[in-house]
Amino acid sequence: METRDKLIQVTDLEKHYNFGRIKAIDGISVDIYKGDVMVVIGPSGSGKSTFLRSLNLMEEPTGGAILFDSVDITKKKYRDENGKWVKIDMDRHRQKMGMVFQHFNLFPHMTIMENMILAPVKVKKISEEEAKKKAIELLKRVGLEDRADAYPIQLSGGQKQRIAIVRALMMEPEVMLFDEPTSALDPEMVGEVLEVMKQLAADGMTMVVVTHEMGFAREVGNRVLFLADGKLLESGSPSEIFDSPKHPRLQEFLSKVL
Amino acid sequence: MDSFIKIDNFPKIAPYAQLFWQGMAVTVLLSMCTVAIGFVLALILSSMRMSKIYPFAFLGLDKEGHQMERGIGVTIGKFNPISFLATAYVEILRSTPVIVQVAIIYYGVFGSLITLPSFTFFGFIKFERFFPGVVALGMNSGAYLCEIMRSGIQSIDGGQTEAARSLGMSQSLTMRYIILPQAIKNILPAIANEFVVIIKESAITYTIGVQDIMSAVNAVRGATFIIIEPLLVATAIYFCLCFPTSKVIAYFERRMSRGDKR
Repeated sequence: METRDKLIQVTDLEKHYNFGRIKAIDGISVDIYKGDVMVVIGPSGSGKSTFLRSLNLMEEPTGGAILFDSVDITKKKYRDENGKWVKIDMDRHRQKMGMVFQHFNLFPHMTIMENMILAPVKVKKISEEEAKKKAIELLKRVGLEDRADAYPIQLSGGQKQRIAIVRALMMEPEVMLFDEPTSALDPEMVGEVLEVMKQLAADGMTMVVVTHEMGFAREVGNRVLFLADGKLLESGSPSEIFDSPKHPRLQEFLSKVL
Repeated sequence: MDSFIKIDNFPKIAPYAQLFWQGMAVTVLLSMCTVAIGFVLALILSSMRMSKIYPFAFLGLDKEGHQMERGIGVTIGKFNPISFLATAYVEILRSTPVIVQVAIIYYGVFGSLITLPSFTFFGFIKFERFFPGVVALGMNSGAYLCEIMRSGIQSIDGGQTEAARSLGMSQSLTMRYIILPQAIKNILPAIANEFVVIIKESAITYTIGVQDIMSAVNAVRGATFIIIEPLLVATAIYFCLCFPTSKVIAYFERRMSRGDKR
């Protein structure tokens, strides 16, 4: 474990609303290593999504620290080695963190190809031909190369989510965050999306996945976190969590979902 | 019983038809200029209102650079002077009558502060009256159009912004490539409707002597002592201007919303 590099180091993360009266996240500490497939489970309202969204500051945490590539991204500014104040460039950090949403969030006014090449061309400034070549490659990987000129409205939910995944991959992120990627899908389409995610995990991508798919967590995850009421109640390997759960809340949760 | 409309009055006002034609030209020109000014002004105002400029944000940070949760510094840190100015402008303009605004611009600003050259263009439009009217109406419609634009932009699903930002796109790139293209489609019909409203509202400028349709009515009344029939002519002209315009807008609105089901 210690031989691998720490990619994200979360310490005492807090997200409070109404000046601390509501604690969505209440002191979570966890290290994410390169190549980890970390699955976050828990009852609804437990802070899973908030935790995930905090990782790339879609939600601003109210306390604690998130070290990503050894920079604390929760601070608006920090002192560099010369002691000068530097404003944090969140956009640059977000480029290294791909995110996939429950509701896909494809851009409806653009074709699939335009959806995919927009950010690489405008943000990373790579040439359009190069971006297109890469997009075709990725589309082939998910079996959708013939839909490059379609609009999102013409695709099924499962296809949209697969596009959303490869759109995030276009930026060559170091870590992929999945926020309940299969929750808005028809049951028959869940499999095709999970298949893409399994492939991705097999290729060594670091992933943090919030999901209700316990089968996926057990099969693909190498670490499972159980969150309830904003607290990290138990974490461990899938077999530890699913076969010998210790915390009563986890036992209760598993008896309901399995 | 005598009807209050006398058919034989219409031939009597017929010699003044030229006044009504000119009035119609003025009204249309006035409305077009107003919408043009209003549109540019609204663009500026709405981007001011939605700007994220917080010059005092540093007051809300603690010694290490973390955002603090509460305190006077946080409250001041959230103050955006640019947005405040634009909001104040919009709220003042929307909460006062147009007729007052027109009078203030004409008698106040162009009456004492700035002296306009007096000449006529197209042979019958007096510039020194037309221009203040356009400025006043333009300032007013700018405030309304600003709200239309802001609501159009804010109607775009927050997930779109999140997706764009998660790809590392900056606030301005997100606005330009993701939000605006979708928002403009939503607000174009509302902007066109504002044009219809302006055509009707421009009648107010006759109070400062712009020779639009309403001033033609008054001229005819002064010359012939006939009031109802010229008013009916004015009604007909306004209706003929506004009704087809709004029908055309409705047609395009239907066509544009066709491919819009998500």
